[in-house]
This record gives sequence, C-alpha cells and structure tokens, in this order.
Amino acid sequence: MSMLVSRAPRPWPLAALLIGLALAATVWSLSRLLPLSDWLTLLSATDVVDMRLLIATQSFLPRVAVSLLCGAALALAGAIFQQVLRNPLAAPTTLGIAAGAKLALGLATLWGAPALLSFGRDGVAMAGGVIAMAATMALAWRRGLSPLAVVLAGMILGLYCGALSVILLLFKEHYLTGLFIWGSGSLSQQGWDVVQGLGWRLAVLAICAGLLLRPLTLLTLDDAGARSLGLSLQLMRLAALTVAVGLTAVVVSLVGVIGFIGLVAPAVARFAGARRLGAQLLWAPLFGAALLWLTDQSVQIFDGPAGSLLPTGTVTALFGAPMILWLMRQRIAGGLAAAEARTEWRIPRPGLLLSALAFGLAVLLALALTLGRGPDGGWSLAFGAAFVDLSPWRVPRTLASLCAGAMLGAAGTILQRLMRNPMASPEVLGISAGASFGLMAVLFLTSVASRDLQILGATLGAGAVLVAMLLLGRRSSFSPERMLLTGIALGALLDALVGALAASGDPRAMLLMTWMTGSTYGVDWVQMFWAAGAAALLLALAPLALRWLDLIALGDAASTALGLRLSLVRLLLLLLTAGLTAAGTLVVGPLTFVGLMTPHLARLLGLQRAAPQLAGAVLLGALVMVSADWLGRIVAFPWQMPAGLIATLIGGPVLMTLLARR
Amino acid sequence: MNPRLKGVHLKEMTRRQLAAGLAYTTLVPRAAQAKPLRRLASMDYGLAETLICLGCPPIALVAAQDWNRWVVEPPLPETVVNLGTSREPNLELLQALKPDAILSTPYLAGIHHRLEAIAPVVSLPLYVPEGTPLALAEAAARKLALMIGAPEAAEALQAQEQACFAEARARLAARAHMPVFLVNLMDERHVRIYGAKSLFQDVLDRIGLRNAWTGATNYWGFATVGIEALQHYGEAQLVYFDPVPPGVLASLARNPIWNALSFVKAGHVCGLPPALMFGCVPSAMRFARLMAERLPKLERR
Repeated sequence: MSMLVSRAPRPWPLAALLIGLALAATVWSLSRLLPLSDWLTLLSATDVVDMRLLIATQSFLPRVAVSLLCGAALALAGAIFQQVLRNPLAAPTTLGIAAGAKLALGLATLWGAPALLSFGRDGVAMAGGVIAMAATMALAWRRGLSPLAVVLAGMILGLYCGALSVILLLFKEHYLTGLFIWGSGSLSQQGWDVVQGLGWRLAVLAICAGLLLRPLTLLTLDDAGARSLGLSLQLMRLAALTVAVGLTAVVVSLVGVIGFIGLVAPAVARFAGARRLGAQLLWAPLFGAALLWLTDQSVQIFDGPAGSLLPTGTVTALFGAPMILWLMRQRIAGGLAAAEARTEWRIPRPGLLLSALAFGLAVLLALALTLGRGPDGGWSLAFGAAFVDLSPWRVPRTLASLCAGAMLGAAGTILQRLMRNPMASPEVLGISAGASFGLMAVLFLTSVASRDLQILGATLGAGAVLVAMLLLGRRSSFSPERMLLTGIALGALLDALVGALAASGDPRAMLLMTWMTGSTYGVDWVQMFWAAGAAALLLALAPLALRWLDLIALGDAASTALGLRLSLVRLLLLLLTAGLTAAGTLVVGPLTFVGLMTPHLARLLGLQRAAPQLAGAVLLGALVMVSADWLGRIVAFPWQMPAGLIATLIGGPVLMTLLARR
Repeated sequence: MNPRLKGVHLKEMTRRQLAAGLAYTTLVPRAAQAKPLRRLASMDYGLAETLICLGCPPIALVAAQDWNRWVVEPPLPETVVNLGTSREPNLELLQALKPDAILSTPYLAGIHHRLEAIAPVVSLPLYVPEGTPLALAEAAARKLALMIGAPEAAEALQAQEQACFAEARARLAARAHMPVFLVNLMDERHVRIYGAKSLFQDVLDRIGLRNAWTGATNYWGFATVGIEALQHYGEAQLVYFDPVPPGVLASLARNPIWNALSFVKAGHVCGLPPALMFGCVPSAMRFARLMAERLPKLERR
C-alpha cells in the first residue's frame, strides 16, 4: 500500500451517504408497493393472502437482503484478492471463477445428467467455479502462486471458459437465455430461500476471513519479510484465495454474475480512507453492500426499457465504469504489480525462426484456400474453375483474417512493451469495445442494419473511444495504469451491455454476439482490400517505433535519460496501436486473445528484442487467425465457428501449457 | 412425408404453374414471371414451414437439426439440407445447391449482399413495427404461393387456417372468460411473456381468447419479466411452452409467489408442446389446435 497519502479521511461520511440514499430509495419503492399505513401488517401478518403483501414480503424485502449480502460478499472477496494478488485491479472475476461457473451451468443445462440436476443449479455452478479456481492455481503453481502468474492464468482461463460458453450459446441459442439472465446478475427474488442459502454460507466464510486477518496482514510485507516471520507463503495465499473464491462462488451460483462490485468497493473503501488491511476487510464489505443495495434500488425505480429486463449486475457495471474513471483522477494507493524480472531465454538466430514462421504461414495459406468440404461433407481440394467459383467465399475471409491477426499481434506487442504489463492487450485500450458500442448503436437504433451502416457505426465508435482515451490520457501524461484501468472499465461496460441485451432475449443481440465472437463470415472483397490496405500502411509504420520500444522497456527514468520524450512517444505509439486495433477489430470482431497471446508466444519462442518480437507476433497472429478461420469453416461443416472463438480455443491451451511449464 | 406422395403432389403443382404465372405477374418478383421458383433455400423456420404446407418444401434450411425442438409440425422432409447456424448459413454449401431463390427476413439484412451473389434474395418481413405478425405471415404465404407457381395452395392454406381457428374458438368458448398468460419459462425466476405484436397475440384474437399480459412488449412481441409480474386479479390461466429448462418446474413448486398466483392456486396452468413463437401460419394453426386440445382438459382436474 502506498505511504504517500498523508491525509487519512474517515470512511464513514461516504458510507453514511450511500446508505442514506439506498434507504431513501427503498422506503420510497416500498411505499409505492404498499401504503405506509399498511407497513405494520408486514410484521404482524401471519396468513399472507394479499398479493401486494406477498410481493413486499417475498420479493421486495428478500431482494434487499440479497443485494446487501451479495455486495458485502463480493467486496470482501475483492478486498482479499487485491490484498493477496497485490493488484488493485484484481476482482473476483479475474480468477475465472464466474466464467467457470457459468460454463458449468451451461453444460449442465444442455446435457445435465439427472445426477447433476439433483445436485441443483447452485451446486453445479459452485463446482464449475471451484474447478476453474483449481485450474488457475495449477497453472500458476510452478511459479509459486506469484500474484502476477495467478492473475494471468485466471484471466486466460476466464477468457477460455467464456469462449466455450459462447460456443454453447451459438449452437443452442434458444435454450440458454435463462443462463444469460443469470449471467448478467438479475437480483429478482421469490421467497427467502436464496437469502437463507447465502446467509449461512457467507457467515461461515466471513468468519474464516476474520481468522485469516493476522496472516494476511503479514502478507502485506514483501515475500522475504513474511517468510522470515515463519509463514508458509503458499499455504496462506491458498487459504486466503480459497475463502475469497468461496465467497465469489456462493454469490455466483445462488444469484449470478455481478462483476464490478468486487473491483469497485475495495477501491472506494481505500479512497475513503480505509487503507490498512483490517480496515479494508471491514469497510470494503460495507461499501459493497451499500453500493449494490443502492444500485438495485435504482434499477427498480428506473425500470428498463419496454419489454426488457434490466439485470442489476449490468447496472453495477454502468455505475462502476464511471466510478473507476473518477477514481483514476485520484491517486489509487498501490501501483500495478510490476512484471517480475526473469531471465528470459533468447534464441541465437531469430532470423531463422522468423523465416520458418513465414514459410509455415505460406503453406497454411495454400491449404486454407484450397482444402474444404463438399456438399456431402467429404473433403475436397479446389483448383482451377472450382477454386474460382469458391473464391468469393474463401479468399476474402482468409486474407482478411491474416491481416487482422497480423495487426492485432503487432498491437499487442506494442501495448505490452509500452505498458510493461503482460496483461495488456488491444482490448485493454477500449478501442475494440468502442467499435462494439458503435455496432450496437447501429443495430438497435435502425430497423434495417445494412453492412455499410454497421461498419460506419463501428468505426465511429472506435474513433470516439480513441479521442476520449487521448483526452483522458493527456491529462495523466499517458500513464499505463490509467489507460489500462480505462480500458478495463470500458470492456466491462461492453460485456455487461451485451449480456443484458442477450438476457432481454432480443434476437438482434445474437447478431451482435456473432460479431463479438470474431466471425469473418461477412467479409467480402471490399472489406478484404480495406483490411489489407490498413495492414500494409500501419505495419509499415511499426518498424519506425522499434527503437522506442526497446528503450521504453528500460523504464521511465532510464528512457527519459536516454533522450526519449515520453509523453510524445506514448501518444504516437498509442495512436498506432489504436489504428491497428480498430482496423483488426472491424474485420474480425473484438478478439482479445490474438493480441494478448502472440506477444507472449513470440517471447516464449525466444524473441526478446522489439524487432524480432514484433515480427514474430505479426507472423504468429497471422498464423493463428488463418488457421482459426480455416478450422472454423471446416471442422463442424456445415456449421461455421467464428474465427475469433477458434483462435481462443487454439491459443488458450497453448498459452496455458507454456505458462504452467515455466 | 412419403416421398412417393410428395412426387405426385409436386407434379400436380407444376401443371398449374402457367396459369398462376399469367394471373399474378404484377405481384410476383420478376424472375418468377418466366418460370416458377421451386428450388428455394430458406433462412427462416416460419417461411420454411409455410413452404412445406404449400406443397413445395425448401431444398435447404438453416438450423434444420432443431426443427423438432421448436417447430415439430409440419414435419421437415429428410431431404432438406441443413445449412448450419441461422445467422451464418454455409455459403459454399448454398452455392453448390444452386437454389432458384433464397428466402430471408430483414433480420438477416446484414448478410443479404452475400446471399445475392448466389441467388436472388426474397426478403419477407414478418416483424415490422406497423404490421401484425399473423397478417404478415398470411401475406408471405400468398407471395410464396405465387413464387412457386401455386397460388391456389395459399387459398387452401387460408381456408385450413380459418377452419382451424373456428374450431379452436368453438372448443375454447367455455374458457374464453379467463384471460390467458402465454409464457416460456426461462429459469426459476423469469418468464418470457408474449403480448401485443406477437404471433400468438394475433391467434388469441382470432380464437376468441384474451391475453392476460397487457404490459409492454418488445419489437418481437415479448417481454422478459420476473414471475412476480404475473399477478392477476380475478380468474386467469397460464400456458407455458416446452421446452422447459430442467429443474425449473420443481423449483417453481417451492416458490411462494408462484404458488400464490391465482391461476396456480386454481390449477389453471397448462404446458403445451413446442409451437414456434416466431413462426408463420402453420405455427399459428398448431398453436390454436394445441390450445383447443389441452386447455379444456384443465377443467376436469
């Protein structure tokens, strides 16, 4: 935690304000439901027959209780995660628990054996969350469960589970809308079952958290210091994480995915002055409960648009995103976890490896263009006239995938070097989220969304976010932490909105999902040339930045000393990344994985300096996307799986194996 | 369908093509003036079921594997080629099948430019803000009948439809005093409820039932609401459609609000086999028939 803050405000005024607002909203809502004069009957009524009374006692009040319990539990989990992982951005969802639970529930809904069902929905979700956590831990085990390794493994696992859930949805769309409602965190209640279930589970876990207070305090020391005090680091971390995962899993399984509270509440508590661990564990849950309560009451007052259901979990993101942006103007105590210094393996002759990659890409390209499936499902090679016939369906999407993959690989490399954060990826900039917002606007504001309009909307959205990021970034001289936070906030907002749209059952949401999953289906010649042009132009600019990228890796002080004008360099690099991301995203959807994965892969292959890493990531990005597009076209013929999802499915395990091995 | 019977049926249709083409030239897409379009690929379940009932099943359909889960009736001939997902029909496959025309809806406007490269796209609106789905479906049936060169098939279908609605109306007269909720159970706490601007609302109007849900609905005529929104003063009945997610019925039985709903207490809750809520005339008929078969049985419980 930062020692820089001298003034230590007390948390209670802000807490009192939030609670007061929530209470006022609750009283107002309840008085609309039931006149004040009838409130006494709430307490005395034994045989409830009046429907209004029933709704007040069995729906409204349990909902208040659930919002309080969930908010407190998620905030407590968030506080523990942030403490253990030493990362103010760690949240219950960063471990992949929510995604794992969601996936388990989806699988059980579709192929749920009766045994699973007798186990209950909550049991299934819980199992999924625990398995996801165990997998995250296993992936980070070899690296001593170091904070960074855990977060990285968790995020990758989360993305992977998310991708699998989406595949389920693409194939079984009608059946899983219920899952979406759950996934976007609707708090509506009918009875006190959920409250009771949450209550005793959370009580047990909160007591465990209390017992862990002392060991956790010691963990705020650095590793060596804590070890010298005789603590088994791994064991303590594991215990603390288990409690936090338990808290998350309970909420996720019984109520749904409410992501932002666990991130925001500890931050708010910190901002309000609760900085020491003990104070955090007390105040973060309090703020979490108040925030979710207030959010949920506001949701009930300002009901969703006609015919749609506005899940509270979505609105916490709508609240949460601006709050993060606001928080960023303050100093958030505790910087981002810096990348651990490791001696990296370096390949002696990178040129040879790069040539091999390029050759591989050429072979793959030839295969992808000629090999396909015939009407009867059999394999067929297309040459000559047959190839010309098929070319409109194969050439544009394959080449556009290639360009997009290359651009995203480059964007990811630049971003990760620029921010010196291995979690950075093009989506972190929020540009792809912006493009998605634009597309969403077009889909929902016009009744006939033609392709041109869709492209226009996505471009404008990407541009708007870019401008906003630049304005915001200039104020903070483009500090990586702030940009990262902004991007994450936007990404969460997008996730939440899409989730809410899908929960409302609006068929247009499926179109959006299709694009979000990285489908190259709609790519035609025009789009292909456009993508190729953008790739040629932007990738030609990248080599100009190589010296900066090498220098900037030395750290702010060193690179300034070596004559780099940091804010100018950052601005230019961000512009380039934004361009690469927007162009790539427009073609193949807001994939995050290629941009995240390929710079890592290049490094793991021994390409450490900027130039070879960039070239490697570009080639690898192209390789991954071309094979993803091809596989998506042929594997489940006549179904086509979106290239973005396939990229995730191919890349995820590769990256996870590499992570686990090192 | 028996393939042999189908052959006879089709041949009979073909003889009538000429007259049809001459009679309705102004209304028919230009391609159909020269010769009827019989090899049709459908991007929509509703249009496909209409084609089957008109006697000219599509040669290819999206998501054909889920037909029995959502549509059931009329049965899908086994010869229909599955084109894959509804938003991304397989274009290589579609091109290889060489359809005369591709039937679609404005919902897929985003990919029409791709489909146009294979065959003319006939986009029939089934959901537009100013129309009612059943009337639009009837119009679509007439248009399709002209396209395939069998306008009298549309008349036959309409007669069938009217007879079906009339019969349902008669059989349901005893229950017409009770408004009805039409829902899909989404999970333990939420339902998707069909109201104004939905296909089933139009059918209710025609078979003399009142919809108990008068709240707002979206573009497609439904709303997603919590179960507590179903409170109703006075007698009502509730119809839920299969498929129901596993475990939901058991969970509802323990739900105090569900159990306090007037129609639940009165036992006026009835499950219906699947009927396509976004379908056309055949689905409307199936819905009316299922209602007429199942709802009156409730009384005897």
